[in-house]
Amino acid sequence: MITGLVLAGGGVLAGLFGSLLGLGGGVLIVPLLTLGFGLPLRESVSVSLVSVIVTSSAGASVYLRKHVANLRLGMVLELFSASGALVGGLIAFLLSEQVLAGLFAALLLWMSGTMLHRAMGSPASASPAVAEPGPDSEAEPSFTDTLAGPGYRVHRLPLGMAGSVFAGLVSALLGVGGGIVKVPTMNVLMGVPLRVATATSNMMIGITATSSAVIYLLRGQIDPFVAGPTAIGVFVGATLGSRVAHRVNTRLLQVLFVIVLLYTAVEMVQKALAS
Amino acid sequence: MSAQRHPAVTSTAATAARLETIAGRLLAWGTRLALLFILVGVVGMAVKGIDPLGGRSFPPYSLVAIPGQIARLQPEGFIWAGMTLLVALPVGRVTVSGAGFLAAHDRRLALVSVLVLLVIVSSVIAALGLQG
Repeated sequence: MITGLVLAGGGVLAGLFGSLLGLGGGVLIVPLLTLGFGLPLRESVSVSLVSVIVTSSAGASVYLRKHVANLRLGMVLELFSASGALVGGLIAFLLSEQVLAGLFAALLLWMSGTMLHRAMGSPASASPAVAEPGPDSEAEPSFTDTLAGPGYRVHRLPLGMAGSVFAGLVSALLGVGGGIVKVPTMNVLMGVPLRVATATSNMMIGITATSSAVIYLLRGQIDPFVAGPTAIGVFVGATLGSRVAHRVNTRLLQVLFVIVLLYTAVEMVQKALAS
Repeated sequence: MSAQRHPAVTSTAATAARLETIAGRLLAWGTRLALLFILVGVVGMAVKGIDPLGGRSFPPYSLVAIPGQIARLQPEGFIWAGMTLLVALPVGRVTVSGAGFLAAHDRRLALVSVLVLLVIVSSVIAALGLQG
Protein backbone atom coordinates (compact mmCIF):
# COMPACT_ATOMS: atom_id res chain seq x y z
CA MET A 1 0.00 0.00 0.00
CA ILE A 2 2.73 2.45 1.10
CA THR A 3 4.93 1.37 -1.81
CA GLY A 4 2.07 1.99 -4.21
CA LEU A 5 1.67 5.52 -2.87
CA VAL A 6 5.42 6.15 -3.10
CA LEU A 7 5.41 4.90 -6.71
CA ALA A 8 2.47 7.17 -7.54
CA GLY A 9 4.23 10.06 -5.75
CA GLY A 10 7.38 9.43 -7.76
CA GLY A 11 5.25 9.39 -10.90
CA VAL A 12 3.70 12.73 -9.93
CA LEU A 13 7.17 14.29 -9.51
CA ALA A 14 8.43 12.81 -12.78
CA GLY A 15 5.35 14.02 -14.65
CA LEU A 16 5.46 17.45 -13.00
CA PHE A 17 9.14 18.14 -13.69
CA GLY A 18 8.94 16.53 -17.11
CA SER A 19 6.07 18.81 -18.02
CA LEU A 20 7.73 21.96 -16.59
CA LEU A 21 10.99 21.25 -18.38
CA GLY A 22 9.53 20.04 -21.66
CA LEU A 23 10.75 16.47 -21.18
CA GLY A 24 8.88 13.21 -21.07
CA GLY A 25 8.70 11.61 -17.65
CA GLY A 26 10.80 8.66 -18.82
CA VAL A 27 14.15 10.19 -18.11
CA LEU A 28 13.17 10.45 -14.44
CA ILE A 29 11.10 7.30 -14.03
CA VAL A 30 13.82 4.90 -15.15
CA PRO A 31 16.40 6.12 -12.56
CA LEU A 32 13.67 6.36 -9.90
CA LEU A 33 12.64 2.73 -10.35
CA THR A 34 16.15 1.41 -10.93
CA LEU A 35 18.16 3.36 -8.37
CA GLY A 36 15.33 4.14 -5.94
CA PHE A 37 13.39 0.87 -5.90
CA GLY A 38 16.02 -1.56 -7.15
CA LEU A 39 14.01 -2.75 -10.14
CA PRO A 40 15.92 -4.31 -13.07
CA LEU A 41 16.68 -1.65 -15.66
CA ARG A 42 14.78 -3.43 -18.43
CA GLU A 43 11.65 -3.62 -16.26
CA SER A 44 11.98 0.07 -15.40
CA VAL A 45 12.24 0.89 -19.10
CA SER A 46 9.03 -1.04 -19.80
CA VAL A 47 7.12 0.76 -17.03
CA SER A 48 8.47 4.07 -18.26
CA LEU A 49 7.23 3.36 -21.80
CA VAL A 50 3.68 2.96 -20.47
CA SER A 51 3.92 6.35 -18.75
CA VAL A 52 5.35 7.88 -21.90
CA ILE A 53 2.29 6.69 -23.86
CA VAL A 54 0.00 8.24 -21.23
CA THR A 55 1.67 11.66 -21.41
CA SER A 56 1.92 11.54 -25.19
CA SER A 57 -1.74 10.63 -25.73
CA ALA A 58 -2.96 13.22 -23.22
CA GLY A 59 -0.73 15.96 -24.67
CA ALA A 60 -1.30 15.05 -28.31
CA SER A 61 -5.08 15.14 -27.86
CA VAL A 62 -4.81 18.83 -26.95
CA TYR A 63 -2.19 19.70 -29.58
CA LEU A 64 -4.19 18.00 -32.35
CA ARG A 65 -7.47 19.68 -31.47
CA LYS A 66 -5.70 23.06 -31.36
CA HIS A 67 -4.05 22.25 -34.71
CA VAL A 68 -0.56 22.90 -33.36
CA ALA A 69 0.84 19.47 -34.28
CA ASN A 70 1.55 18.74 -37.95
CA LEU A 71 -0.31 15.46 -38.46
CA ARG A 72 1.02 14.83 -41.98
CA LEU A 73 4.66 15.40 -41.11
CA GLY A 74 4.27 13.46 -37.87
CA MET A 75 2.81 10.45 -39.65
CA VAL A 76 5.65 10.33 -42.16
CA LEU A 77 8.34 10.62 -39.49
CA GLU A 78 6.68 8.20 -37.07
CA LEU A 79 6.95 5.46 -39.69
CA PHE A 80 10.72 5.76 -39.20
CA SER A 81 10.68 6.29 -35.43
CA ALA A 82 8.39 3.26 -35.01
CA SER A 83 10.76 1.17 -37.16
CA GLY A 84 13.68 2.29 -34.99
CA ALA A 85 11.68 1.44 -31.87
CA LEU A 86 10.88 -2.02 -33.22
CA VAL A 87 14.58 -2.72 -33.75
CA GLY A 88 15.46 -1.13 -30.38
CA GLY A 89 12.83 -3.20 -28.57
CA LEU A 90 14.42 -6.36 -29.92
CA ILE A 91 18.01 -5.25 -29.29
CA ALA A 92 17.13 -4.34 -25.69
CA PHE A 93 16.77 -8.03 -24.84
CA LEU A 94 20.24 -8.79 -26.22
CA LEU A 95 22.06 -6.12 -24.21
CA SER A 96 23.20 -6.58 -20.63
CA GLU A 97 21.90 -4.37 -17.80
CA GLN A 98 25.37 -2.83 -17.56
CA VAL A 99 25.37 -1.76 -21.20
CA LEU A 100 21.86 -0.31 -20.85
CA ALA A 101 22.92 1.58 -17.71
CA GLY A 102 25.95 2.96 -19.58
CA LEU A 103 23.75 4.08 -22.48
CA PHE A 104 21.33 5.70 -20.05
CA ALA A 105 24.18 7.56 -18.36
CA ALA A 106 25.26 8.85 -21.79
CA LEU A 107 21.70 10.01 -22.47
CA LEU A 108 21.58 11.84 -19.14
CA LEU A 109 24.87 13.60 -19.87
CA TRP A 110 23.61 14.61 -23.29
CA MET A 111 20.38 15.96 -21.77
CA SER A 112 22.34 17.85 -19.10
CA GLY A 113 24.36 19.56 -21.81
CA THR A 114 21.26 20.41 -23.84
CA MET A 115 19.43 21.75 -20.80
CA LEU A 116 22.38 23.80 -19.60
CA HIS A 117 22.65 25.28 -23.08
CA ARG A 118 18.97 26.20 -22.94
CA ALA A 119 19.22 27.60 -19.42
CA MET A 120 22.10 29.84 -20.47
CA GLY A 121 19.86 31.20 -23.21
CA SER A 122 22.17 30.17 -26.02
CA PRO A 123 20.78 31.31 -29.35
CA ALA A 124 21.78 28.00 -30.93
CA SER A 125 19.06 26.27 -28.96
CA ALA A 126 16.42 28.62 -30.24
CA SER A 127 14.47 27.94 -33.36
CA PRO A 128 16.29 28.83 -36.56
CA ALA A 129 13.07 28.38 -38.46
CA VAL A 130 12.15 31.49 -40.37
CA ALA A 131 8.60 32.06 -41.51
CA GLU A 132 8.48 31.51 -45.20
CA PRO A 133 5.69 31.15 -47.70
CA GLY A 134 4.31 27.77 -48.62
CA PRO A 135 4.70 26.35 -52.11
CA ASP A 136 3.56 28.79 -54.78
CA SER A 137 0.40 28.22 -56.74
CA GLU A 138 2.13 27.70 -60.09
CA ALA A 139 4.35 24.69 -59.50
CA GLU A 140 3.04 21.19 -58.88
CA PRO A 141 3.81 20.53 -55.19
CA SER A 142 6.30 17.83 -54.28
CA PHE A 143 5.55 15.34 -51.50
CA THR A 144 7.68 17.41 -49.12
CA ASP A 145 5.67 20.53 -50.06
CA THR A 146 2.46 18.81 -48.93
CA LEU A 147 3.97 18.38 -45.45
CA ALA A 148 4.35 22.16 -44.97
CA GLY A 149 2.34 24.06 -42.39
CA PRO A 150 1.11 27.63 -42.11
CA GLY A 151 4.11 29.93 -42.57
CA TYR A 152 6.81 27.30 -42.91
CA ARG A 153 8.11 24.67 -45.30
CA VAL A 154 9.76 21.38 -44.48
CA HIS A 155 13.39 20.89 -45.45
CA ARG A 156 15.82 17.95 -45.47
CA LEU A 157 13.17 15.23 -45.12
CA PRO A 158 15.72 12.37 -45.47
CA LEU A 159 17.69 13.77 -42.52
CA GLY A 160 14.47 13.96 -40.52
CA MET A 161 13.76 10.31 -41.36
CA ALA A 162 17.24 9.27 -40.20
CA GLY A 163 16.87 11.29 -36.99
CA SER A 164 13.51 9.63 -36.36
CA VAL A 165 14.98 6.13 -36.66
CA PHE A 166 17.62 7.11 -34.08
CA ALA A 167 14.95 8.61 -31.81
CA GLY A 168 12.99 5.34 -31.98
CA LEU A 169 16.07 3.32 -31.05
CA VAL A 170 16.81 5.57 -28.07
CA SER A 171 13.18 5.41 -26.95
CA ALA A 172 12.95 1.62 -27.03
CA LEU A 173 16.31 0.98 -25.40
CA LEU A 174 16.04 3.54 -22.63
CA GLY A 175 12.29 3.99 -22.05
CA VAL A 176 12.17 7.65 -22.95
CA GLY A 177 9.91 9.37 -25.46
CA GLY A 178 12.73 10.37 -27.77
CA GLY A 179 11.63 14.00 -27.93
CA ILE A 180 15.19 15.00 -27.04
CA VAL A 181 16.14 13.79 -30.55
CA LYS A 182 12.92 14.49 -32.47
CA VAL A 183 12.45 18.13 -31.50
CA PRO A 184 15.96 19.33 -32.50
CA THR A 185 15.77 17.21 -35.67
CA MET A 186 12.54 18.87 -36.78
CA ASN A 187 13.40 22.32 -35.51
CA VAL A 188 17.08 22.72 -36.36
CA LEU A 189 17.47 20.39 -39.34
CA MET A 190 14.05 20.55 -40.98
CA GLY A 191 13.11 24.17 -40.28
CA VAL A 192 9.88 23.40 -38.43
CA PRO A 193 8.98 26.07 -35.81
CA LEU A 194 9.83 24.97 -32.26
CA ARG A 195 6.22 24.99 -31.03
CA VAL A 196 5.06 22.81 -33.94
CA ALA A 197 8.11 20.53 -33.58
CA THR A 198 7.39 20.02 -29.87
CA ALA A 199 3.69 19.27 -30.49
CA THR A 200 4.41 16.97 -33.44
CA SER A 201 7.11 15.13 -31.47
CA ASN A 202 4.64 14.65 -28.61
CA MET A 203 2.13 13.10 -31.00
CA MET A 204 4.76 10.82 -32.58
CA ILE A 205 6.01 9.59 -29.21
CA GLY A 206 2.80 7.60 -28.69
CA ILE A 207 3.32 5.37 -31.70
CA THR A 208 7.09 5.16 -31.13
CA ALA A 209 6.62 3.99 -27.55
CA THR A 210 3.80 1.64 -28.58
CA SER A 211 6.07 -0.17 -31.08
CA SER A 212 8.42 -1.24 -28.31
CA ALA A 213 5.90 -1.34 -25.43
CA VAL A 214 4.04 -4.10 -27.28
CA ILE A 215 7.23 -6.18 -27.26
CA TYR A 216 7.81 -5.62 -23.54
CA LEU A 217 4.11 -6.29 -22.78
CA LEU A 218 3.85 -9.54 -24.71
CA ARG A 219 7.20 -10.74 -23.36
CA GLY A 220 5.87 -10.34 -19.81
CA GLN A 221 8.28 -7.57 -18.87
CA ILE A 222 5.68 -5.09 -17.59
CA ASP A 223 4.65 -5.37 -13.94
CA PRO A 224 1.05 -4.10 -13.72
CA PHE A 225 1.38 -3.38 -10.00
CA VAL A 226 4.32 -1.04 -10.62
CA ALA A 227 3.17 0.41 -13.94
CA GLY A 228 -0.39 1.18 -12.73
CA PRO A 229 0.40 3.55 -9.82
CA THR A 230 3.32 5.08 -11.74
CA ALA A 231 1.19 5.84 -14.82
CA ILE A 232 -1.55 7.45 -12.73
CA GLY A 233 1.07 9.54 -10.90
CA VAL A 234 2.74 10.68 -14.11
CA PHE A 235 -0.60 11.74 -15.58
CA VAL A 236 -1.49 13.76 -12.47
CA GLY A 237 1.97 15.37 -12.40
CA ALA A 238 2.00 16.21 -16.10
CA THR A 239 -1.49 17.74 -15.87
CA LEU A 240 -0.44 19.79 -12.85
CA GLY A 241 2.76 20.87 -14.59
CA SER A 242 0.95 22.15 -17.66
CA ARG A 243 -1.27 24.31 -15.40
CA VAL A 244 1.50 25.88 -13.29
CA ALA A 245 4.21 26.13 -15.97
CA HIS A 246 3.63 29.84 -16.57
CA ARG A 247 4.11 30.64 -12.85
CA VAL A 248 7.41 28.84 -12.41
CA ASN A 249 10.93 30.18 -13.00
CA THR A 250 11.96 27.42 -15.38
CA ARG A 251 15.53 28.73 -15.81
CA LEU A 252 16.34 28.12 -12.14
CA LEU A 253 14.55 24.79 -12.35
CA GLN A 254 16.65 23.83 -15.38
CA VAL A 255 19.91 24.53 -13.55
CA LEU A 256 18.77 22.50 -10.53
CA PHE A 257 17.62 19.75 -12.82
CA VAL A 258 21.00 19.59 -14.56
CA ILE A 259 22.56 18.87 -11.15
CA VAL A 260 20.04 16.06 -10.57
CA LEU A 261 20.71 14.63 -14.04
CA LEU A 262 24.47 14.71 -13.51
CA TYR A 263 24.16 13.00 -10.12
CA THR A 264 21.89 10.35 -11.68
CA ALA A 265 24.37 9.90 -14.54
CA VAL A 266 27.16 9.19 -12.03
CA GLU A 267 24.95 6.63 -10.27
CA MET A 268 24.16 4.99 -13.59
CA VAL A 269 27.84 4.84 -14.51
CA GLN A 270 28.52 3.12 -11.19
CA LYS A 271 25.75 0.64 -11.98
CA ALA A 272 27.22 0.08 -15.44
CA LEU A 273 30.66 -0.61 -13.98
CA ALA A 274 29.33 -2.90 -11.26
CA SER A 275 29.96 -6.54 -12.02
CA MET B 1 5.32 38.03 -48.87
CA SER B 2 2.91 35.14 -48.76
CA ALA B 3 2.53 33.52 -52.13
CA GLN B 4 -0.73 31.68 -52.77
CA ARG B 5 -0.55 28.03 -51.91
CA HIS B 6 -1.10 25.40 -54.57
CA PRO B 7 -4.72 24.09 -54.47
CA ALA B 8 -3.44 20.56 -53.81
CA VAL B 9 -1.57 21.79 -50.73
CA THR B 10 -4.63 23.73 -49.50
CA SER B 11 -6.86 20.69 -49.96
CA THR B 12 -4.49 18.35 -48.08
CA ALA B 13 -4.17 20.91 -45.27
CA ALA B 14 -7.96 21.03 -44.89
CA THR B 15 -8.13 17.23 -44.75
CA ALA B 16 -5.39 17.15 -42.14
CA ALA B 17 -7.19 19.77 -40.01
CA ARG B 18 -10.39 17.67 -39.96
CA LEU B 19 -8.47 14.54 -39.11
CA GLU B 20 -6.51 16.32 -36.37
CA THR B 21 -9.80 17.17 -34.63
CA ILE B 22 -11.11 13.60 -34.88
CA ALA B 23 -7.79 12.05 -33.80
CA GLY B 24 -7.52 14.55 -30.92
CA ARG B 25 -10.96 13.60 -29.61
CA LEU B 26 -10.18 9.90 -29.91
CA LEU B 27 -6.99 10.31 -27.87
CA ALA B 28 -8.68 12.50 -25.25
CA TRP B 29 -11.57 10.13 -24.53
CA GLY B 30 -9.45 7.02 -24.91
CA THR B 31 -6.85 8.26 -22.43
CA ARG B 32 -9.55 9.09 -19.88
CA LEU B 33 -11.11 5.65 -20.20
CA ALA B 34 -7.73 3.88 -20.01
CA LEU B 35 -6.73 5.83 -16.91
CA LEU B 36 -10.10 5.09 -15.32
CA PHE B 37 -9.47 1.35 -15.75
CA ILE B 38 -5.96 1.70 -14.33
CA LEU B 39 -7.22 3.80 -11.41
CA VAL B 40 -9.83 1.17 -10.54
CA GLY B 41 -7.05 -1.43 -10.63
CA VAL B 42 -4.79 0.67 -8.38
CA VAL B 43 -7.63 1.18 -5.89
CA GLY B 44 -8.20 -2.57 -6.02
CA MET B 45 -4.51 -3.10 -5.22
CA ALA B 46 -4.88 -0.91 -2.14
CA VAL B 47 -8.06 -2.71 -1.03
CA LYS B 48 -6.44 -6.13 -1.44
CA GLY B 49 -3.21 -4.97 0.21
CA ILE B 50 -1.00 -5.76 -2.78
CA ASP B 51 2.56 -4.51 -2.32
CA PRO B 52 3.90 -3.65 -5.81
CA LEU B 53 7.44 -4.60 -4.91
CA GLY B 54 6.56 -7.31 -2.42
CA GLY B 55 7.14 -10.66 -4.03
CA ARG B 56 8.69 -9.44 -7.28
CA SER B 57 6.44 -11.77 -9.20
CA PHE B 58 3.48 -10.46 -11.08
CA PRO B 59 0.61 -11.91 -13.11
CA PRO B 60 1.58 -12.27 -16.78
CA TYR B 61 -0.25 -10.34 -19.48
CA SER B 62 -2.88 -12.29 -21.35
CA LEU B 63 -5.41 -10.51 -23.51
CA VAL B 64 -7.95 -13.31 -23.39
CA ALA B 65 -7.73 -13.55 -19.59
CA ILE B 66 -8.62 -9.89 -19.01
CA PRO B 67 -12.45 -10.19 -19.11
CA GLY B 68 -12.35 -13.06 -16.59
CA GLN B 69 -9.98 -11.12 -14.31
CA ILE B 70 -12.30 -8.12 -14.42
CA ALA B 71 -15.34 -10.31 -13.74
CA ARG B 72 -13.53 -11.65 -10.65
CA LEU B 73 -12.62 -8.05 -9.66
CA GLN B 74 -8.90 -8.84 -9.82
CA PRO B 75 -6.91 -5.55 -9.87
CA GLU B 76 -4.50 -6.75 -12.54
CA GLY B 77 -7.43 -7.27 -14.95
CA PHE B 78 -8.37 -3.58 -14.76
CA ILE B 79 -4.76 -2.44 -15.08
CA TRP B 80 -4.14 -4.74 -18.07
CA ALA B 81 -7.37 -3.50 -19.69
CA GLY B 82 -6.24 0.12 -19.23
CA MET B 83 -2.81 -0.64 -20.62
CA THR B 84 -4.20 -2.51 -23.60
CA LEU B 85 -6.37 0.51 -24.35
CA LEU B 86 -3.39 2.83 -23.91
CA VAL B 87 -1.31 0.86 -26.40
CA ALA B 88 -4.26 0.72 -28.79
CA LEU B 89 -4.83 4.48 -28.73
CA PRO B 90 -1.93 5.60 -30.93
CA VAL B 91 -2.75 2.71 -33.25
CA GLY B 92 -6.36 3.90 -33.38
CA ARG B 93 -5.18 7.43 -34.14
CA VAL B 94 -3.10 6.16 -37.08
CA THR B 95 -5.99 3.99 -38.32
CA VAL B 96 -8.48 6.87 -38.18
CA SER B 97 -6.02 9.18 -39.93
CA GLY B 98 -5.24 6.60 -42.59
CA ALA B 99 -8.95 6.05 -43.32
CA GLY B 100 -9.43 9.80 -43.51
CA PHE B 101 -6.55 10.25 -45.93
CA LEU B 102 -7.89 7.41 -48.06
CA ALA B 103 -11.36 9.00 -48.13
CA ALA B 104 -9.73 12.26 -49.23
CA HIS B 105 -7.89 10.37 -52.02
CA ASP B 106 -4.55 11.17 -50.45
CA ARG B 107 -3.04 7.82 -51.32
CA ARG B 108 0.50 8.61 -50.24
CA LEU B 109 -0.43 9.45 -46.66
CA ALA B 110 -2.89 6.54 -46.57
CA LEU B 111 -0.01 4.26 -47.60
CA VAL B 112 2.20 5.76 -44.89
CA SER B 113 -0.54 4.97 -42.33
CA VAL B 114 -0.71 1.36 -43.51
CA LEU B 115 3.08 1.06 -43.26
CA VAL B 116 3.04 2.43 -39.69
CA LEU B 117 0.40 -0.16 -38.78
CA LEU B 118 2.53 -2.86 -40.40
CA VAL B 119 5.44 -1.88 -38.16
CA ILE B 120 3.19 -2.31 -35.10
CA VAL B 121 1.99 -5.69 -36.39
CA SER B 122 5.65 -6.64 -36.90
CA SER B 123 6.32 -5.73 -33.26
CA VAL B 124 3.52 -8.06 -32.15
CA ILE B 125 4.78 -10.88 -34.37
CA ALA B 126 8.36 -10.35 -33.19
CA ALA B 127 7.27 -10.39 -29.53
CA LEU B 128 5.20 -13.55 -30.02
CA GLY B 129 8.09 -15.14 -31.91
CA LEU B 130 10.48 -14.34 -29.07
CA GLN B 131 8.00 -15.82 -26.59
CA GLY B 132 7.93 -19.07 -28.50
